[in-house]
Amino acid sequence: MSIEVCSVNKTFNQFKALDKVSLKVETGELVALLGPSGSGKTTLLRVIAGIEAADPGSGPILFDGRDVSAQEAGKRRIGFVFQHYALFKHMSVFENVAFGLRAKPWRLRSKEAEIRAKVGELLQLVQLQNFAQRYPSQISGGQRQRVALARALAVEPRVLLLDEPFGALDATVRRELRRWLRKLHRRIHVTTVLVTHDQEEALDVSDRVAVMNEGRIEQFDSPEAIYDSPANPFVFKFLGSYNLFHARKTNAGDAVAASPADAGGVTFVRPHDIEIRRENSDGFGIAARINHIGFAGSLVNVELARIDNDTVVDAALPAHAYKDLGLKPDDRVFIRLRNTRSFDEDFSI
Amino acid sequence: MAEELAAQTQTTGAFGNPPPSGHPLIRRVMVATTVIFLTLFIVIPVVNVFAQALSKGVDAYVRVLHVAGPPVGARLSPAERRKLAAERGQAEKTWSSIRLTAGIAVIVVPLNIVFGLAAAWSVTKFRFKGRAFLIALIDLPFSVSPVIAGLIFVLLLGRSGVLGAWASSFTWPDPFSLHWRGFAQDWWPLAFTRSFTGIIFTPLAIVLASIFVTFPFVARSLIPLMEAQGSDEEVAALSLGASGWRTFRKVTLPNVKWALLYGVILCTARVFGEFGAVSVVSGHIDSNDTMPLRIEKLWNEYNNQAAFGVASLLAFLAIVTLIVQTIVERQTGKSEMRQVEEEGTQ
Repeated sequence: MSIEVCSVNKTFNQFKALDKVSLKVETGELVALLGPSGSGKTTLLRVIAGIEAADPGSGPILFDGRDVSAQEAGKRRIGFVFQHYALFKHMSVFENVAFGLRAKPWRLRSKEAEIRAKVGELLQLVQLQNFAQRYPSQISGGQRQRVALARALAVEPRVLLLDEPFGALDATVRRELRRWLRKLHRRIHVTTVLVTHDQEEALDVSDRVAVMNEGRIEQFDSPEAIYDSPANPFVFKFLGSYNLFHARKTNAGDAVAASPADAGGVTFVRPHDIEIRRENSDGFGIAARINHIGFAGSLVNVELARIDNDTVVDAALPAHAYKDLGLKPDDRVFIRLRNTRSFDEDFSI
Repeated sequence: MAEELAAQTQTTGAFGNPPPSGHPLIRRVMVATTVIFLTLFIVIPVVNVFAQALSKGVDAYVRVLHVAGPPVGARLSPAERRKLAAERGQAEKTWSSIRLTAGIAVIVVPLNIVFGLAAAWSVTKFRFKGRAFLIALIDLPFSVSPVIAGLIFVLLLGRSGVLGAWASSFTWPDPFSLHWRGFAQDWWPLAFTRSFTGIIFTPLAIVLASIFVTFPFVARSLIPLMEAQGSDEEVAALSLGASGWRTFRKVTLPNVKWALLYGVILCTARVFGEFGAVSVVSGHIDSNDTMPLRIEKLWNEYNNQAAFGVASLLAFLAIVTLIVQTIVERQTGKSEMRQVEEEGTQ
């Protein structure tokens, strides 16, 4: 089922959480809402769910072209998953998953045997069939989130809404669960919107990413497009570490060697797009001194300082390249920039 | 630094062994002070209540509540007969006070459960203007002297009060007079035979005063817990299509049941024990006496042993309350610990 949000506003005590946000999610798509805290991504999700009402005067929220903005959350047939699971503490895993089935009006309620079969099936789906009789306090965080997902899926939602679903988990479990979610989505193919502040997660798991900032959607595109051609400095900055040069890129070969901030332009380069060379063979390299070398597994982070104006440049190069160059602190080298992105407008850091 | 650490372990790892604290001498002095204080101010008076109540023997103690008739065929002198009648009158008044107190508790406690839940719910699950003011208002009966609380009702509902004209002609049936009438007269088989007119100086005023005085107990014991729990679980239940009532019954209530029971215990204990407010609105009419008022009257009549006899019933109730309270506290502690654990593993 497709979701369309049309020009929605939401204010909390004069704070504009959503500022005329419009978004269209296609049927079966997995979309991530990505942004820093306070950017309005969770608010947008809650407005879609019907947990939060949009301000009067906002546009409609369409599920498959039908306006649902007047419906309450329970009527919209959505599955909502919370960051902190919100499992019912005093109910077993089984009862948690069965809650939505038992809450239906009695005319629509299935028989006990059917409920049991359905819950068993869902627990199989989230690989927790052996935990049915446990209580939420007796299982791990990752397992809890899977129970929450099974509980949400029990009512056969038309839309799955996940609010920072992996935010409370540690890094390994997180990556595992993310893969698993991707696999699950391929299997059941329900339209899914996921809120996250982790760019890696958003880029890895989703079909399209909406980057949000200060209540607006800055860019809504595929992960590659978002990463390779960010629409504005905010998107570039938010998607990973970067180096900033207060200069415009003049032409392809000569990057931003010139230091004076001419014409107010700015240029961004990712650390892994900074090349370190021993020789300045074509004359376009920028002379720099190595300040510090830090190991980060497959990558080596090198902190350099430009000789001409002492600004710090961060580079990240593969371990083998680092070994080939044989870099040491205080070495003098030359850096070249690849894949630079220049923006016209000036802004403060 | 060490103290800080100790304090931290005390707050975070609470339910294990208590952390070693300071010098053993300090510990001993502290424990001894506490024990001496509690003995002086609580244990001795409570033991004294029972001792005084039993000072004239078990028979006399029983006679506070129940005076047997003269043995069959016994001939009593007029003086003896008068004495027996007086004793029976006293016992009857004592029973009436027990019935009234229990009846008031039966009305007040359920009402305060409803009010307390509603207040705690609205204050913790919603954010609105005047929320802080409402919380302060809930606490108001704690900060107002009970006598003043009683006076408020007298000034409001008394003959010359603001609502006096309406209140003094207000007629309401006496619930104790409800009896089975049968279907002969009407389709409804129950009827009241007595009714009261007016509010102040009737049991209804005692109910109102008791509600006022005990209102904060339930709300106060729920608010911190409900605040800590937030409303995610409720929102989850609603999003799964549950109705508001089902959400309340299946999700909210089980989460707060121990705290609620704790509040109910405190509320009940206070309803039984409240003196000041009730004393003002009862008008010192014998039929309006609750147990504490009855104790005062017996005491004023120099019937010390009987006064302590009724007091011993209240003391007994207090001890039962204490035991139940300890059990409930252990349960709330457990559920809170479970919550802490859960948050810890997140």
